[in-house]
Amino acid sequence: MSTQVPDTDPLVDAAATEGWIPPEIDGIVHRKSLIRRKPMAVVGAVILLVYVLVAVLGPLFVGDPLTTDPSNALQPPSGDNLFGTDKFGRDVFARAVHAARLDLSIGVVIAIASMVIGSLIGVIAGYWGSWLDEVIMRLTDVILAFPGFVLALILVAVMGNSIPNVVIAVAAAYIPYFIRLTRAEALGQREMEYVDGARLAGNRPWRVAFRHVLPNSLRPSLVQATLVAGWAILTVAGLAFLGVGIRPPTPEWGVMVAEGTPDIITGQWWTALFPGGLIVLAAAAFHFIGDEFGGEPL
Amino acid sequence: MGEGEIVGLVGESGSGKTIASLAIMGLLPAAIELRDGSVRVEARELVDPTTGRVERRAQEMAMIFQQPRSALNPTMRVGNQISRVLVLNQGLGRGEAMEEAMAMLGHVGISGARRVARAYPHQLSGGMCQRVMIAMALACRPRVLIADEATTALDVTVQAQIFDLIRDLVAETRCGVVVITHDLAAVSEMCDSMAVLYGGQVMEVGTTVDVLENPSHPYTRFLLDSIEREVDPRVEERGVNFALAGCRFGHRCPHAYEACAAFPPMIPVGRGHTASCFLLQDESSHAVARTD
Amino acid sequence: MPLLELTDLHKTFRHGANAVPAVRGVTLSVERGETLGLVGESGCGKTTLGRMVVGLQEPTSGSIRFDGQSVEGGFAEAGRRRRVQMVFQHPAQSLNPRMRVEQMLAEPLRLLADLAPDRINGKIDEVLRLVGLGPEYARRRSRQLSGGQQQRVAIARALICDPDLVVLDEPTSSLDQSVRGRIVALLRDIQRERDVAFVFISHDLSTVQRIAHRVAVMYLGRVVELADTETVFRSARHPYTKALLSAVPKMDPRLKRERIILPGETPNPSELPIGCSFQDRCPLVHDRCRREAPQLLPTAGAHLVECFAVATEVSHA
Repeated sequence: MSTQVPDTDPLVDAAATEGWIPPEIDGIVHRKSLIRRKPMAVVGAVILLVYVLVAVLGPLFVGDPLTTDPSNALQPPSGDNLFGTDKFGRDVFARAVHAARLDLSIGVVIAIASMVIGSLIGVIAGYWGSWLDEVIMRLTDVILAFPGFVLALILVAVMGNSIPNVVIAVAAAYIPYFIRLTRAEALGQREMEYVDGARLAGNRPWRVAFRHVLPNSLRPSLVQATLVAGWAILTVAGLAFLGVGIRPPTPEWGVMVAEGTPDIITGQWWTALFPGGLIVLAAAAFHFIGDEFGGEPL
Repeated sequence: MGEGEIVGLVGESGSGKTIASLAIMGLLPAAIELRDGSVRVEARELVDPTTGRVERRAQEMAMIFQQPRSALNPTMRVGNQISRVLVLNQGLGRGEAMEEAMAMLGHVGISGARRVARAYPHQLSGGMCQRVMIAMALACRPRVLIADEATTALDVTVQAQIFDLIRDLVAETRCGVVVITHDLAAVSEMCDSMAVLYGGQVMEVGTTVDVLENPSHPYTRFLLDSIEREVDPRVEERGVNFALAGCRFGHRCPHAYEACAAFPPMIPVGRGHTASCFLLQDESSHAVARTD
Repeated sequence: MPLLELTDLHKTFRHGANAVPAVRGVTLSVERGETLGLVGESGCGKTTLGRMVVGLQEPTSGSIRFDGQSVEGGFAEAGRRRRVQMVFQHPAQSLNPRMRVEQMLAEPLRLLADLAPDRINGKIDEVLRLVGLGPEYARRRSRQLSGGQQQRVAIARALICDPDLVVLDEPTSSLDQSVRGRIVALLRDIQRERDVAFVFISHDLSTVQRIAHRVAVMYLGRVVELADTETVFRSARHPYTKALLSAVPKMDPRLKRERIILPGETPNPSELPIGCSFQDRCPLVHDRCRREAPQLLPTAGAHLVECFAVATEVSHA
């Protein structure tokens, strides 16, 4: 018996034109779905999605957060007032919903601002090194010596009490974290061959740093940014609780907690508990996402 | 594999050579399951049939790894590392074990064993670390030694020293050695017999002389060609495709045809020389026809 | 006039109080369209030498002349950088993981060559074809390529501005044997087509034998032997070259050769002995080697060897 071996085989020709396809070979999907691999991240994302929906659409469906009604003060949660009313008779639910927009945007803006500034400085320190690195690192050491909260407190006190100033102050307090993370990553990336390749391709040092090293040094900072967004909400609320930054009657969760705390002693727990719970849940949601993506590829 | 024999396991990256050796040693990561098969040393079955786990004794098998420096514990003096192996596996006393460790270090060609035994791995060169690894592996006088790319990370002149050492030790202790490597020339120098692996399948087995002088599997021929001359341009540069049924080399093989969709059997091509390819079946039937 | 001339090139790295000489007085030249193989074991300074040639590292002393012009202050100037390029050892690492192949290839064209923007894509297709990749690879990222394909892209990037000289630093050592052969064949084809000179750095002697016209053997920062490839592989004179060649495993299972096994390992470059740096491992060592350092001297024609024993032999003959 003899089977002729064809000279040109369709199988081989197909292989030659196809090229190599890693890592999902021939349509076999080896990855498990995201919910199986990172369940907490999915939980965090779902919670945040709800927050965002509430922040964007919520104010359309609830009443005015500033309308007072002394006759209806300090009512416990009911069908009319889901979260009850505060001592001025304002609807806690309406105030909490309106506050979501402010608190979330503050958290995200602070996280992005401090990440952008921090990683730009960090990549300069990590890529150029020598004395510039020394100077930048010692400065971050000084800033990190103060607890972030205290630093923000001092900055707001110096710059004056306004929402933009609070954002600037809190962002400034978080910048050193991003500087350190990006610098550490850039120090490693600097030794990679693609950096030499980029130099040989004619890139000037600043272009090597910002176009090649920076994008490859951002991963830890991106993870950190989700955590910072959570912390920033906590910090801003904490400052508001102390009466620094955002002031009553602005609907803001920290302000609401500050206003409601005295009521707890007299038994009206709902005025502080609901906004407080919303702060914790938002911070936790950011953390779930950040933690799960900590070490693994996005 | 016989006593005092050196067997080579050859293949490119991703061919499953390291996994095969880890499986033999019972060191597979928990995620990978040993489907079936058996490992026997001096007629004792090492694979537990109920759990599928490999039960191994230090006196039976030992292994040396590719990166000698990272295979040693960086926080322990190397003398202590070797003597611990003896204390744990042979039940020797501490002093006795230390004496034996010194003797082993001398054995693997380290002069000034006492000084080296007091050193930490980072104070030793790569070649020296590999000698220490070998001393540790041989401390319990195993019957089988597995060397996984043991010289790849070393310079050629040091590699030659280690090859020499392994050969001398084999002649002396009569233990069997499995050399796992991607370097066919190293196999040619070191080994009595060899197996060629691709995509987790054995492609060809035989004595080193037979396989290298009369390569029968297209993959072996391709590997040899790639060293000596230009390779067949039809053999595309592709990764190992595990999703394929049948012959694992089928998607790169210039001679692949319909039959290759099935799993080819091992076909004898000479005394103790077999290859897994359908072409050989046809050829042998041709040969029979011609001799008529 | 040679394309590249290195004269008494030195490079010393300083780690605090420790001075580590990586390259100690290398004099070499490379002709247009030629491949010079640079072989040696780890720590012999071959990579440092290559990096100085392309200007990624500044020499401590000595001169580099390219095309007759002295190169001061490295190759920062775009005109020179365009003419001297490099391919690195680890293909996976030498490509920016965040960029597509076309972006990586367009970069040197934009930054180094004054090419009209509408011609860039054509040039990318052309160079991809040159390295044996189809135009569909332009959209891929580095992780979507196999090791051999990554190295092809790296070669394409080095060649895209039509350089006169490419330094290839161990371009095949991290590739599988079968892929290695293809890359070597590719490089030879490219050289034939483009008349580009290569400095091929490798510890893998069999690959060097297949691609180089001349070979320089380095040991501890010095060139100890330099000759055309055939001479080096057939009649090496320096005891280190001989040992190195004999240590390389050969593809002949019946061959049972006498190897020259060198004792010990490469010494620490920061604690070099007086005299010849190979003295402690050399089978031919005598008193003179411990007093003074030998020079790289011609034995026959263009065959240079740095060894007293060989020099004496030659003068006697």
